Amino acid sequence: MSVFADDVVTFTSMLKMAYNLLVGNSYLKRKKFREKKKLIAVALPFSDLAYACGAISVFPVRMQIFEINKYLLALGSFSSIFGWKSITNVLGFLKKLEFKSINKTIDDIIDDVIDTINKKYNQMYDLGVESGIPTDFCYGIKSLYGMYVAKGKNVEANLNFTIRCSAWNKYLESLKTIKNPAKNIWIDVPPRNIGNSLEILTNNFSKAINELEDITGITCTDNRLREHFTLRNQICQHYKTIIHEIGASDFYPSNPATFAEILALLTISFHDYNSNVKRYAENMSSLVNEMKERIRKGIGMECSKMPRILITPIFGGWEPKSHEIIYELGGRSLYADWELLGFLENINVSNNSNPIEEYARFIMNISSNKMGCDNDTLTDSYLNLAKKLNVDGLIFFQLFGCHSISNCYKLLRDKLRREEIPSTALTFNKIGENVEQVKTRLGAFMEMFK
Amino acid sequence: MTVELLSNYYYYLKEKKAEGKKIIAHMAHDNIPEELIDAAGFVPLNMIFAGNDELMNSSHDYLPPSTCSFAQSCIGLFSEKPNNFDFLELIDYFMVSNHCVSDICASEIITKYFSIPRLNFYISYTLSENALEYYKLELHDLKQQLEKIKGSEIKEENLNESIKRYNNFKKKLLEVNNLEIKGKTKLEIFQKAMLYGPDFLPELDTIIQNSQPQRSNNLKELILTGCSIFINDYLIDLIEESGGNIVFFDTWIGDNYFSQIFDDAILNSKENPYNLLLYRYRNNVGGDHMVPEYLENKVTKLEKIIQNYRKKTGKPLGVINHIIKFCDHISINSAFLKEKLQEKKIPILNLERDYSRANRGQLSTRIEAFIEMM
Repeated sequence: MSVFADDVVTFTSMLKMAYNLLVGNSYLKRKKFREKKKLIAVALPFSDLAYACGAISVFPVRMQIFEINKYLLALGSFSSIFGWKSITNVLGFLKKLEFKSINKTIDDIIDDVIDTINKKYNQMYDLGVESGIPTDFCYGIKSLYGMYVAKGKNVEANLNFTIRCSAWNKYLESLKTIKNPAKNIWIDVPPRNIGNSLEILTNNFSKAINELEDITGITCTDNRLREHFTLRNQICQHYKTIIHEIGASDFYPSNPATFAEILALLTISFHDYNSNVKRYAENMSSLVNEMKERIRKGIGMECSKMPRILITPIFGGWEPKSHEIIYELGGRSLYADWELLGFLENINVSNNSNPIEEYARFIMNISSNKMGCDNDTLTDSYLNLAKKLNVDGLIFFQLFGCHSISNCYKLLRDKLRREEIPSTALTFNKIGENVEQVKTRLGAFMEMFK
Repeated sequence: MTVELLSNYYYYLKEKKAEGKKIIAHMAHDNIPEELIDAAGFVPLNMIFAGNDELMNSSHDYLPPSTCSFAQSCIGLFSEKPNNFDFLELIDYFMVSNHCVSDICASEIITKYFSIPRLNFYISYTLSENALEYYKLELHDLKQQLEKIKGSEIKEENLNESIKRYNNFKKKLLEVNNLEIKGKTKLEIFQKAMLYGPDFLPELDTIIQNSQPQRSNNLKELILTGCSIFINDYLIDLIEESGGNIVFFDTWIGDNYFSQIFDDAILNSKENPYNLLLYRYRNNVGGDHMVPEYLENKVTKLEKIIQNYRKKTGKPLGVINHIIKFCDHISINSAFLKEKLQEKKIPILNLERDYSRANRGQLSTRIEAFIEMM
């Protein structure tokens, strides 16, 4: 994995984001107890309202204590005194010395970040099952349930958006059966955009905002909403640049496996912007700048001969070794779930607009046109993104127990065939459970491109 | 009984078709306003056929095996085209609805791959005032979809008439529910009634008049909650063979369907029949589609049924929570339901299964053990 580390050393922002993701526990404790901030749990990227109301959004896994690589921890401490930028210089310098132990250390850091997150996901999965969630459900729901069992009591409320997935909606209801449940704030998203459903959703948001205001004691003004939406729009713009401008190009600022690793990290951290929107926006901006700078200097990898593979969906669970395997097989992987489902779209922040209505419009677009209330719409979203990114193939993760997205594969496959985009489905139950099988399947799939 | 029922049903639908009526199928449980379909002059067809493994397994070209066995079976009906199900050929439209996501997926596959034109009817997941507003939009939209097919307006008086017809029909099913007859007999009546709708009323009258109490002193009395027992399923036989008798069907095929009635005061108080449908939607607190109070409502309802039954007969009731494998709605909270009922000293068996016949022995053992424990 040296080649990964080589890349990452010069991506300070990635180190920083990884660090911020992993030290969530102490960060959130500080926010909650010292600064008296209110924590609101979210899953899927539905965190915006909580921020606009002065709360801190948290994707529950981040309340866990992670076993952080001691060197990353040291880097974090170092950065709090000297800043993250100096870390790149130090690491770069150490790396140039080519001490084996130093190289190994850096490799370990990067390996550990992803492995640590995955190990924690698996632990949460086991806890979810032990706590009574039936094994019938998908990896995502079982892990989320475990996350709430472990740390759900630390949040003031859960922000519950109903979506097309009935397992998800019922899982949200089940949160109150966990010991010491937090308040549940429900936002019922109309399944279709008909009649005045936008008005209905706007009203539902207004009610949720009132409940959040009661918790934080902060009035959510239009300006606060616009300010937050402006920041998240910037994040999304950067995210889109990484996917469309850099991801779709033939020269990557890094090894393609590292690039995929960054995309995977973004998929995880985007749920709650690592509990700090401003910091996240700055990191995203730095990340894009770092990538562009490397491309400008010709540092990275020419990958025009490497088939471009869209791997999706990954947000509910996937085998994280996939991009590495694909890389070893001569391909490059892209992860773009949030773009596919419309979460990276812009929210109108013009002064003459009603920001709550604009947010409703944004969510309605996801619900009706991207995620869709049916599989025809959803599969169109997959197809459109595959075409837009000009991918050579698509790998579809079919999660055991997922009755919503996994069930659309037949329809998707038919549509992809019509467009002559090869695809394959990989079944998935738990991280690390069937890596060998994934290798075999991907090996067979990648043969098509030789 | 099943072969005869399905064969007769074919002729019934054929007659309806000959009268120019369209057949509109759906698998969306208790959320579909059948009265609106009836008022349009069409025939609603409840997809309540599932229970054998061939049907379940033949859906795997379309859906992964980790899909609810009911949804799989519905697809199997169209891909296998089994004997006795010829009436499915008569379906003109299939309604895609979001009772659960497997319902959406299966309905969508049926419309797309078996070329049946599609109608849409979606509902919210909560029962808030805004959800009610949304329901109104969907009703209006469905009305327009039906009017387009019909080629003319659905008149309010026709809808009123249909609501009354269905109301009387469901009241009569409530009477059947109170009959002292064996669970299997009762279930077969409910299943048949849900196929024929209010046209079954005269037969229901005869059944009630001629009904003789069937004593079942040796059998333990039970409530069935959770997933329905569909036409073709052997579960009811298994329960009775194991020494149980279902006296109350707290399922879609059962109380969730026929308890949705209006008393006369409400029926006459609403000028607009659509408000009656809204009223019913608001009061459907026991529907398993709903969040976030479904669990509490379920526990309260079961407790009430058990108390009333004890008051009336002096006998206790046990609960079988029937969980069709991979059912999102019933499965996820089954452990919680069990815990809550056990706290109240109510015996409950969470019976999870698919339609595989190979499981029959195991299921039988579990039911027998539960009944013995009661």
